[in-house]
Amino acid sequence: MNRRTLLASITALPLLLGLPAFAQDQAKPHDGKAISVLLPPWGTLPKEMTDRFTSETGISLDTQTLGWDDIRTKIVTSMVAGTAPANVTEVDWSWVGQFGSAEWYTLLDDKVDAALIADLPTAAIFKFDGKLMAVPYNNDFRILIFNRDHLDRAKITEAPKTPDELLAAAKAIKAAGIAEYPIGLPLSATEGSATAWYLLTKAFGGDLFDAEFKPLFTTPDSAGYKAMSFEIEALKAGLVDPAATGLKDVEIQELFKSGKISFDVAGWAGNLAVYSDKAKSQVAEHAEAGLMPHVGPKSRTFGLPGAVGIPVSAADPEAGLAFVDWLLKPENQMASYAALGNLPTRTSVLEKLNAEGKLASGDVLLQQAALVEPLFAQGTPGWYPEFSSAVASTLNQAAKGQISVDDAVKQIAEAAIAAQAQ
Amino acid sequence: MSRRSLSRIAGQVGTAAAVLLLLVWSLGPVFWALVTSLTPPADLLSRELRLWPANPSLEHYAKLFGATSSSQGNAVQSVWPQFSAAFVNSLVTSLASTVITVALAAFGAYAFVRLRFPGRELLFVLVVATLAIPAYTVMIPLYRLMISLKLIDTYVGVTLIYVSAFLPLALWLMRSVYQAMPISLEEAAWLDGAGRTYTLMRIVLPLAAPGLIASAILTFLSAWGQFMVPLVFSPTLATKPLTVLIPEFVTRNYVDYGLMNAAGILAIVPPVLLVLFLNRFLVSGLMAGATK
Amino acid sequence: MVAAAEPLQKISMRGSRRRNEEAWLGLAFVIPIIAIMGGLVFLPVVGTLLDSLYRIDPMRAGTPFVGLGNYAATFADANVRQAWFNTLVYVVIAVALQAVGGLGAALLLNKIQRGRRWLLAVLVLPWCLPPVVNALVWLWIYNPSYGLLNGVLQALGLIDTNRVWFNDRTTALFLIALVHVWRMLPLTAIILLAALQSIPKELYEAARLDGAGPIRAFRSITLPLISGGIAIALSQSTVFAFNLFDEAWILAGTSLDTRTVIIQVYMSAFQNLKFSFGMALSVLAMIASLLVSLVYVLKVYRETRYE
Repeated sequence: MNRRTLLASITALPLLLGLPAFAQDQAKPHDGKAISVLLPPWGTLPKEMTDRFTSETGISLDTQTLGWDDIRTKIVTSMVAGTAPANVTEVDWSWVGQFGSAEWYTLLDDKVDAALIADLPTAAIFKFDGKLMAVPYNNDFRILIFNRDHLDRAKITEAPKTPDELLAAAKAIKAAGIAEYPIGLPLSATEGSATAWYLLTKAFGGDLFDAEFKPLFTTPDSAGYKAMSFEIEALKAGLVDPAATGLKDVEIQELFKSGKISFDVAGWAGNLAVYSDKAKSQVAEHAEAGLMPHVGPKSRTFGLPGAVGIPVSAADPEAGLAFVDWLLKPENQMASYAALGNLPTRTSVLEKLNAEGKLASGDVLLQQAALVEPLFAQGTPGWYPEFSSAVASTLNQAAKGQISVDDAVKQIAEAAIAAQAQ
Repeated sequence: MSRRSLSRIAGQVGTAAAVLLLLVWSLGPVFWALVTSLTPPADLLSRELRLWPANPSLEHYAKLFGATSSSQGNAVQSVWPQFSAAFVNSLVTSLASTVITVALAAFGAYAFVRLRFPGRELLFVLVVATLAIPAYTVMIPLYRLMISLKLIDTYVGVTLIYVSAFLPLALWLMRSVYQAMPISLEEAAWLDGAGRTYTLMRIVLPLAAPGLIASAILTFLSAWGQFMVPLVFSPTLATKPLTVLIPEFVTRNYVDYGLMNAAGILAIVPPVLLVLFLNRFLVSGLMAGATK
Repeated sequence: MVAAAEPLQKISMRGSRRRNEEAWLGLAFVIPIIAIMGGLVFLPVVGTLLDSLYRIDPMRAGTPFVGLGNYAATFADANVRQAWFNTLVYVVIAVALQAVGGLGAALLLNKIQRGRRWLLAVLVLPWCLPPVVNALVWLWIYNPSYGLLNGVLQALGLIDTNRVWFNDRTTALFLIALVHVWRMLPLTAIILLAALQSIPKELYEAARLDGAGPIRAFRSITLPLISGGIAIALSQSTVFAFNLFDEAWILAGTSLDTRTVIIQVYMSAFQNLKFSFGMALSVLAMIASLLVSLVYVLKVYRETRYE
């Protein structure tokens, strides 16, 4: 052991013992180290923040940015090859089952402050087998976003509370000639279309699977079946743009911003900030959030947060951990929201932002945030990506009229069983 | 008017029509990308078809060159340092792999045609057969190898991979060029006592210029457009090329068509300049062949 | 007769010392090629071939030997069969269009004297767009609501309302293949142009003196002399069409209607983490594109030999 690592491990002791306050007063324990972090474009921190990180911790930061799909390719390639893609990487909620069962990420339960975990309701989504493998920094959940002006002009006073009310409102708006296709729903063969269906399944009061991962969406009275029928009927009734079969979720968002649609049904909570910004949206004054319409007693939604984790093969996990801790500090969560629109994951920070009036439609957002559940109560399974791409391509086939809803749900159920079997 | 001149005019009209078709086919989509890059974001979503934007704006280019930039609509740091670094990386790796590939192909293909050595045919077939290998097939073992050689995120590593990927086509092309060349010139030189290497350098290579330049164009353009290889082997801006940087502008929550198209238009410039430059030699190489 | 295997015999008459020297020089010229191709291509391919015989799945413990089990599994998978079919459609469309278009463009450039430099630059332009940008440009052109294609066809009165192009499977396959052809045509054209330029002008003079018209000259001089180039061009367009990924991925995502074998490889290996399954499929894709290319090479060589 050379002198520097010895020194580092001694000075890192207080940190490991859970005394970060003490450590801060000390000389910087990781001074002079360098780490790399691999994050998607929305995690590319502004220079002001990275400079501050370096001056606070003494660690110099090498930020690697890759597209979201590409990050997974990169992580998988390097982990299979037995090296670390970076000291710290993005961990998406949908990768948890795969990366968890592959044991690719350092377990963080006793490495992160318990009080911090308690402040992070979405941390549960990043537990595999009950153990924390990444810490959520970017909050995302689905919420109904609508154009208040369209509703007013169609003489609708309240945001729709049930799927039926949503359909009725859309019909009224279309009839009044305010929007040609009032409902925005992606139906292309992409992940965004699949997640919209999951969300609607929750809205219709059901779940995708039971506790044993048996599909629950194949019978006509099931929520999943109804959710898909809802989407296809809305498409056939001309309430959804026929072009939606080729549209991704991001393109639906562009339509909303330009005022072409009235409802972004599977809206992203963080996007409200974008929708209500005049520089970015033509409907800035009219964008509002409503609780997700629901059939059951309470509104339901699910979370799709992004987290940061430390690959097991990464050198110097303590320095990586210092970055994770730093990123989750309240001031940095706020700065990341201000600069990049990443909705904070800490409940205390969200409340603070709302109290300061910095959160668009903040009250509804907080109300819905309290109702966020994971898509899979048991934790995201390893076969999720395979299942989800089957959902996306089957839903796309149904929307193009190649197969019926009945066939589609059966096909998805078969794909789910096949994905689980392997 | 004689029949001959009539058919000549018909031929000219036909040629002109073919040129026009080629222009529309090649330029049309690029022109449309240019139009998109000059259209202000709000006008992009208009149902009206306009062949030239009503209010052309350099907004998207300003995002690339400006002091500040925007990501998901937020003002963030300028992307110019990234863009220019990636631009340089693309140039360096593409040029280096072009020079090496063409040099190896020029000598190697000559050996495959004119020099007899053991295993010649088998080696050639094996090398050309590697054209059919999809990038995904070799990615993980190659990654392990590059890690152990410490060549990840280095110009050397990326360039070597490019060479291995584009050498087969260049080699094959050069072999067919040498095969089509009459051997009589070389024989004359040998009779005069010139060595093999001297003959190759002084007599064969100048005659093979059009083939060499075609190989260079092919290699440069292939390297310039690479995505999968640098995605995995060029993780940071130390070597990351434009092709990997540009898609980062399409994020999970935002597709900036204007910015994408602007970046694409800028990415076209160096290869086109290079082709214009090289083509002069392609033509003069041909002249040399004709006037010998 | 074009191929130049014969001249070597004359040289070989000069004794074994000379031949030895020749062999060493030949080896010296190809050693860098052996090193690079061996290390960076053959070694990894062997690694992948071996991996495809085991069950490599990071999500499951152990890597048992499964023999050809992964290959059998790819044949049993309905999605894989669909992907094979789509890929074959792309290959047929791409190779046909590139061969005709590429030869046309090469002949045109070979004929034109003035402005050839500029026309060549125009020709290669599509290839200069990074593939991802290229696919996005076309995504924008095919856009059902704001796209150029709908706009132009409506302006010409060929359709009355906007079409959603990708709702129809055949149209979707064709349009994706078209984007690929648009990008790869320059490659075919440049290879053929290089071949055309190596034909000595005197041959055409002689043919004209013999009273041969342009069509006969084309058939009896041009085609046989560029047969090598045609074989290269057809093989490369086959190989590239087999490896089609970006265009289909960006234009239609994982849609089963348009999914290619390589997209399936990506999904199996990198998305579903079924590594060895993906590796086995990629090996099959490699073998298939090799076999199909071989057919052209043999056919083109044989047909033109007898001219």
